[in-house]
Amino acid sequence: MQPDVSRLRLVIELALREFTHERVMSACFVLSLSAVLLPLLVLFGLKFGIIGNLLEPLKEDPRYRQILPAGSGSYGPDWFAAMAARSDVAFIVPRTRAIAATMRLQSVDNEAGRIISVELIPSASGDPALSGLEPPRGLDTIALSLDAADKLGVSEGDSVKGILSRTLGGERQTVLLPLAVGAVASAAAFARDGMFVSPELLMAVEDFKDGRAVEALGWSGAAATEGPRYFAGFRLYARSVDDVAGLRKALMDRGIDVRSRVADIELVQALDRNLSIVFWIIAGIAAVGYGLAFGSSVWANVDRKRLEFSVLRLTGFRTRAIVWFPIVQAVLTGVLGWLVAALVFFVVQAGLNILFAETVGGGESVCRLLPAHFILALLLTLGAAAIAAALGGRRLAMLEPSLALREA
Amino acid sequence: MPGAKLAFIGESGSGKSTLLELLAMILRPGEGGQFTFHPRTQDETHDVAAAWQAGNLDLLADLRSRHIGYVLQHGGLLPYLSVRDNIELSRRLLHGTSDDVAERWAERLRITDQLDKRPAELSIGQRQRVAIARALAHDPSVLIADEPTAAIDPLNAERIMRLMVGLVDELGVTLIVASHAHALMRHAGLRMIEHLVETSDRNSMRVTVTHAA
Repeated sequence: MQPDVSRLRLVIELALREFTHERVMSACFVLSLSAVLLPLLVLFGLKFGIIGNLLEPLKEDPRYRQILPAGSGSYGPDWFAAMAARSDVAFIVPRTRAIAATMRLQSVDNEAGRIISVELIPSASGDPALSGLEPPRGLDTIALSLDAADKLGVSEGDSVKGILSRTLGGERQTVLLPLAVGAVASAAAFARDGMFVSPELLMAVEDFKDGRAVEALGWSGAAATEGPRYFAGFRLYARSVDDVAGLRKALMDRGIDVRSRVADIELVQALDRNLSIVFWIIAGIAAVGYGLAFGSSVWANVDRKRLEFSVLRLTGFRTRAIVWFPIVQAVLTGVLGWLVAALVFFVVQAGLNILFAETVGGGESVCRLLPAHFILALLLTLGAAAIAAALGGRRLAMLEPSLALREA
Repeated sequence: MPGAKLAFIGESGSGKSTLLELLAMILRPGEGGQFTFHPRTQDETHDVAAAWQAGNLDLLADLRSRHIGYVLQHGGLLPYLSVRDNIELSRRLLHGTSDDVAERWAERLRITDQLDKRPAELSIGQRQRVAIARALAHDPSVLIADEPTAAIDPLNAERIMRLMVGLVDELGVTLIVASHAHALMRHAGLRMIEHLVETSDRNSMRVTVTHAA
C-alpha cells in the first residue's frame, strides 16, 4: 500500500483535473463567489477612501491639534512647567501680549523694498507648525511665514532687518535688529504675515516696547523687573487629535477660555464611527451570505458527484483521502474568486476615482484599498472555503456508497 | 475457491446488488454474522465482520484497493479522466505508479484506439471494456461485476462476457457476477448460485446462499 502522501497527491490531482474538466461549472462557482466579494471590496474601499480623506488632515495638519487662549491671562513658569509635563501636551510655548508682539521687517539686500509689519509667533524646537524646518534660535535667527517671505522677496539663508520703535518719555526711539532667515514655513503653518521667533527674542521685544533695557542687544531703558516672569498667553499643541477634547476641558475647568477645532474633529470622528457601523452591518450580512453561497455550492457539488465519489471509494480510496477532493476544489474556487474580484475591483476603483476626481480633488481617491486589505479578503475567503469544505466533507462522509451506486 | 466463476441470478430487486456490495465490503453487514476474506496471493485471513464492528473502514478500503476489482452496470468511469487514466487509476492508488499497464490491457480488451478519449466519447460496450480493464489492472483476487452487460445488445454482451471469463481464467481471478440473464451466464460457463436476502431493516440482514444444480 502506498503511503498517505502519495495517495493524497493522487486525490489532489484528480480534484484539479475534475475542476478543469468541468471548466464551465467551475467558472460559474468562481464568478458567483467574486460577485459577492466584489461589492464588499468596493464598499470597504469607499469607506476607507472617504473616511481616510476626512481623517487625514486631522492627523497631518497640526492646526487641528492647536489650542489657543481666547483672552488674555497671566501664566507663570510653574504653570508652563506643569502643562509641558502633561502626557497629552506635545508642545507649549509662552506668548506675550499681542500688542507687544509685532515688528516691522525690511529686506537687507533690497533697501528700497517695502517694509511690512509681522506678528511675532513664539516657537522652539519641536514646534508642530514648523515640522522638519530649522526652529528659530537665540536673538538673531528666525523663520518667516510664506506670505511674509514672499512680500519681502527673501528665502531661506537671506538676511532681514527688524525695525522696532517705542515712545519713551515723549521721545520716539527706534532700534534696528539684524536677523537671519533660518527657514520659511509652509502656507499651512501661518496664513498671515508672521515671524517665528525664539521666546528670548519675544521677551526682548516685549521688554523694549515696555521701556525696559535689553542688555544682550545693547538697548537702554528701565531696569528689568525682579522675580518670575508672567505671560499673557501661550501656544499649545495636543499630542493627538484625540487629546484635544480632554485638554480643552481641563483648561476650561481651570477657568481658561480657549479656542480649538474640537467641533470639527468630533464631527469627522462621529462620521467615521457612523459610517463604520453601517459598513460593518452590511459587511456582516454579506459575509454570512458569502459563506452560505460558498458552502451550498460545495455541498451541491458533492451531492451532484456522489456517484464519482462512490466509485473512488469502491476503487479503494479511504474516506479521509476523498475528503481532500472538495477541500482542494473549495480552496481553488475561493482563490480564483478572490483574484477575479480583486482584478475587477481595480477597474471599478479607477472608474470611481475618475468620476469623483473633481469632488475630492488634490490627487485624493474616494476609493482605495491597501495591500493588507486584499490579504485580509483572501484570508476571509480561505476561512469561508474551510467552512465550505468542512460542510462538503461532512456531506461526503454521510454518503452511503452503495445507495449512490444504485442510482447510477 | 480461487478461480471460481459464480453468478447470482435474479430479477431486479431480488437483492443481487446488496449481496455484491456486502462482498465488496462497501455495505455494512448485520450483526452476528461471519465474514472472512482470504486473498489468493497471500496466506492471510481478514475478519471483515470484525473490521465493520470495530469501525476500521481504512482496512476495508485497503482490502478493496488491493484485492477487489468492481465493474458497475454503467461502467462507473470517471468522466474527467481519459480511458488510459481510468484504467491506470486502481494501479496508481495501490502502487503509486501506473507502470504503463493501460496499453497492455487495452490490447487485451480491444480498445487500443480509445485510450486517449474521454469516457463520454465511447459506446456503452466500450465503456464496459474499460471498466473491466480498470477492475483487473491492479491484479486483484476477486472481480465483482454488477449486471455488467445489462445495458448492451445481446451480441456484444456475449462477446464481453466471453472476454471477461477468458481473462479471469488466464489470471486465476475469482469472478462473481450478478445478472438476470440466465442463459448468458450459463453459456459463459459460470456456476449459478441461488440466494435469498431478507431485509427487515438496514441493520439486520440475512443472506442465504445455496448452490444451484
